[in-house]
Amino acid sequence: MAKFVTIGERIHCISPVIRKAMAERDPEPILKRAKEQLDAGATYLDVNIGPAESDGEDLMKWAVQLLQSNFDNVPLALDTANKKAIEAGISVYNRAKGKPIVNSADAGGRIENIDLAAANDAIVIALCSAEGIAADNDERMMHCQNMLERGLSLGMEPTDLWFDPLFLVVKGMQDKQMEVLEAIKMFSDMGLNSTGGLSNNSNGMPKHIRPIMDSALVAMAMMQGLTSAIVNPCDLRLMETIKSCDIFKNNTLYADSYLEI
Amino acid sequence: MPFNAKSGKFNASINVVEIGTGDKKIKIGGENVLPFYTFDAPVENAPKVGIEITDFGLEHEPDCVKKYYEGCATVVDMAKKAAEMEGVDFLSIRLEGGDPNGANKSTEELVQLVKEVAEAVDLPLVVCGSKNVEKDAELLAKAAEALDGKNAVLLSAREENYKAVGAAAGLAYKQLVGAESAVDINLAKQLNVLLTQLGVDGKSIVMNVGSAAAGYGFEYVVSTMDRIKAAALGQGDTTLQMPIITPVASEVWGVKEAIASEADMPEWGDQEERGIDMEVETAAAVLASGSNAVILKHPVSVATVSKMIKALM
Amino acid sequence: MALKGLDIFKLSPKKNCKECGSPTCMAFSMKVAQGAADISACPYFSEEAKATLMEATAPPMKTIKVGAGEKEIALGGETVLFRHEKTFVSKTRYAVALCSGMDDAEIEAKLANISKVDYDRIGERMYVEMVYVNYDPAAGADKYLDLVKKAAGLNRVLVLGCQDAEVAKAAVELVKADKPILNGADASNYEAMSAVATEAGVVLGVTGANMEETYETIKKLEALGNKNLIVDVGVTSIKEAYKTAVLLRRTAIKDGDRSCGYPSLVQANVLAKGDLHMQAALASLFTMKYGSVIVMEEMNYAQALPLYGLRQNVFTDPQKPMKVEPGIYAINGADENSICLTTVDFALTYFVVSGELERSGVPCNLIISDAGGLSVLTAWAAGKLSANTIAKYFAEADIEGKVKNRTLVIPGKVAVLKGEIEAKLPGWNIVVGPTEAVQLVKFLKDMQG
Repeated sequence: MAKFVTIGERIHCISPVIRKAMAERDPEPILKRAKEQLDAGATYLDVNIGPAESDGEDLMKWAVQLLQSNFDNVPLALDTANKKAIEAGISVYNRAKGKPIVNSADAGGRIENIDLAAANDAIVIALCSAEGIAADNDERMMHCQNMLERGLSLGMEPTDLWFDPLFLVVKGMQDKQMEVLEAIKMFSDMGLNSTGGLSNNSNGMPKHIRPIMDSALVAMAMMQGLTSAIVNPCDLRLMETIKSCDIFKNNTLYADSYLEI
Repeated sequence: MPFNAKSGKFNASINVVEIGTGDKKIKIGGENVLPFYTFDAPVENAPKVGIEITDFGLEHEPDCVKKYYEGCATVVDMAKKAAEMEGVDFLSIRLEGGDPNGANKSTEELVQLVKEVAEAVDLPLVVCGSKNVEKDAELLAKAAEALDGKNAVLLSAREENYKAVGAAAGLAYKQLVGAESAVDINLAKQLNVLLTQLGVDGKSIVMNVGSAAAGYGFEYVVSTMDRIKAAALGQGDTTLQMPIITPVASEVWGVKEAIASEADMPEWGDQEERGIDMEVETAAAVLASGSNAVILKHPVSVATVSKMIKALM
Repeated sequence: MALKGLDIFKLSPKKNCKECGSPTCMAFSMKVAQGAADISACPYFSEEAKATLMEATAPPMKTIKVGAGEKEIALGGETVLFRHEKTFVSKTRYAVALCSGMDDAEIEAKLANISKVDYDRIGERMYVEMVYVNYDPAAGADKYLDLVKKAAGLNRVLVLGCQDAEVAKAAVELVKADKPILNGADASNYEAMSAVATEAGVVLGVTGANMEETYETIKKLEALGNKNLIVDVGVTSIKEAYKTAVLLRRTAIKDGDRSCGYPSLVQANVLAKGDLHMQAALASLFTMKYGSVIVMEEMNYAQALPLYGLRQNVFTDPQKPMKVEPGIYAINGADENSICLTTVDFALTYFVVSGELERSGVPCNLIISDAGGLSVLTAWAAGKLSANTIAKYFAEADIEGKVKNRTLVIPGKVAVLKGEIEAKLPGWNIVVGPTEAVQLVKFLKDMQG
């Protein structure tokens, strides 16, 4: 099995510092966050430029080139609702360290992002929802099937669709947590890859609780077969849990220093 | 339907390590496929064959090896002769006499010898220690100093002495560090991590992951190497992408199949033939498991294994 | 091979009609993969799709049986590429080649030599299990048939190497009850050869100039209905032979192509003609990488000792240690008055210790008791090497009745047992030996001196 893929979520326009840096094309704050995440063990970096309706193409190109030229062609997830911006980003993307990820498609209005990924030999994160959260796993798997079929019909490798069951917040949807985990097991049984914004589970919880909840969930989800997650890699406890689970799953070979590498 | 092989090429590859200097320098590693799978992707650097001599010169060699060094009075003479033999890519000198529980030769004496050998031959050099970890910490560090500029392999740094050997060989004198673990994949990985944490460039590390003579628990050797290559290539584990160099001679020329005299075992036949085939078959098996270089003793083994490698490339 | 839900889903109608009781075709596919639903519950799965699925669940590599009665040997049937994944199933078998083009003296010498290597190693008989009888057209059919008869007298499984269908037919006729392999089909003669093999009910060996050509001939033979095959990896070059051996196995196991799932035969005798050391190297290489039958010009002890040892190592269960039989092993001509030493039954320990004892030249009795096939310290920690286990074994095996000497050397790593053993074995002088086997030579010599 391949090692768990952590996608660092900290380059996000929701952060005022990043939003300002993107607007001013100021490399420093973005490079700093990239470095922090890579040092902490992130494999992919997510680049969320927001809706970026006016200058999305230019901005995404700039961000892709900035990050890849400074960090040895680090693989990236291109995260925006602006399709043209994603295409522009891919046009300057270097694949040496991994295919680009299109973040994201769903089974509803954004299903065409699968076409975009297929046309550009990219990975796509496929949210198992259409209009709103799936009511149950039957619906989730229906969305999964629709997106998978679309990808396959366009010649994609099934493993290039990373299915996102949509992690739900515990405070409010505690009774639905096991269903999400069961969905992951179903993806895994099908031989499919999966990912998701795992820390959504702990939204609204006190700061010191969140790493505990996140790492417990990631361990359970990895047991179910989760192959990737979009997380904050600077969360040490979470990263240690992921590395330890990778050992148990025989995804990486144990050495006494495994946490340091 | 015509045959359509899927390529078994990996996205990761083994590090390329250059040993020695000048015209005779060699490169090992670089492949992104399993051993000799040239049909999956070209393998640029063929595995290499080294010949082993020791500081005892002819004194401890079996008669069947001695005859190839006829006329050699000193270790340096032997080194020169060995370097000319068919199929030899590099020279390995094993400083057996340094063992405090054995001849306990002084570090100065042995390092002086290493220096003389290095001056006499232009082949890439591998210096093997005495197997005593305390002694080797000093011996290999001094040897690294004496070989400054030769780009030699110091074999080996072990768990107990990696700091001393790594610091001298890898940091101070920019030689190549051989990380030795005894058929233990977790330790193999750990040693590489520790050496890189010490500051040694991962690209100047080679591994000796342990060996055994064919028939002597060789299954552990096979699985250790198979799993290391699976991690290095299949999982892209950069801490295991160091090429593997396997001393075969020191394992095989100790087992009874190779050394029992014909008088003792008449039905087994000629002792020299047995020694050669034990060495050849063990070498072929470690190469098939992923060794990027082997160290052998008998000139016929060296020529045969070298020929087999060429035939497979 | 277990099918993944995805493989089934790809073939499913993808209508989500719910007639099978599942909400979606994907859910249904997963149930089928888990064995929780039968594919017949779906009315829309095409017959073709069902056939594909049936094919996919068959084992990836065929088990081919050759030889009759007690001599029967199973080849192939492998399920993995690496021994750490799962135990390999059918060990490599070695053959020695005879050829009708050889002169009589050479043939007689070879025939006499084939039985020479025959010994036991940890409970396994090591010998040349097969004889390859090659047809040289220049020597004529009669001489070949004569040679086949002679070879049959060796009581080994035969491989008849012959590309002439007519001669092959006559040769197979002589020995078909012994289930030989008929090796000699290629692109030019496969129809006739297949007819001979099928009629006689024997395995057919097929080859070609390279992997691609061989594969096409396999396909044609399969189209004729013959799947009782073994693949000769060819004699074009060592490189091509290795490629073919690896690709056959990998394509069968990894990609599920059943047309590659046959055992292989390697003619090392031809690939390295006249060079016995190179043949030794190739025998080792192809034992490691996927040779089912390896043919040599001869098999002497020099080649055999490491080769059979290697095979025994490679084909062991990775989860199960190799054990030697408990007993008294007399070394260097020891008798009842010779000193006794004891250690565990873990094969590796036994080999290292007995090797060193032999090297010492000192006559001694090595007493091995059942320690669960574990190494000294592991056995001790698990309670399988203790004063009790040793005393119990000594009583069971009547060691005191068989040996008069009363000095027993125990492994240095379990020096702590000395007092307890002394208590359990009154009359014995218990001596703590060295912690490492390499120190045994010096230890024994010092003891004598």
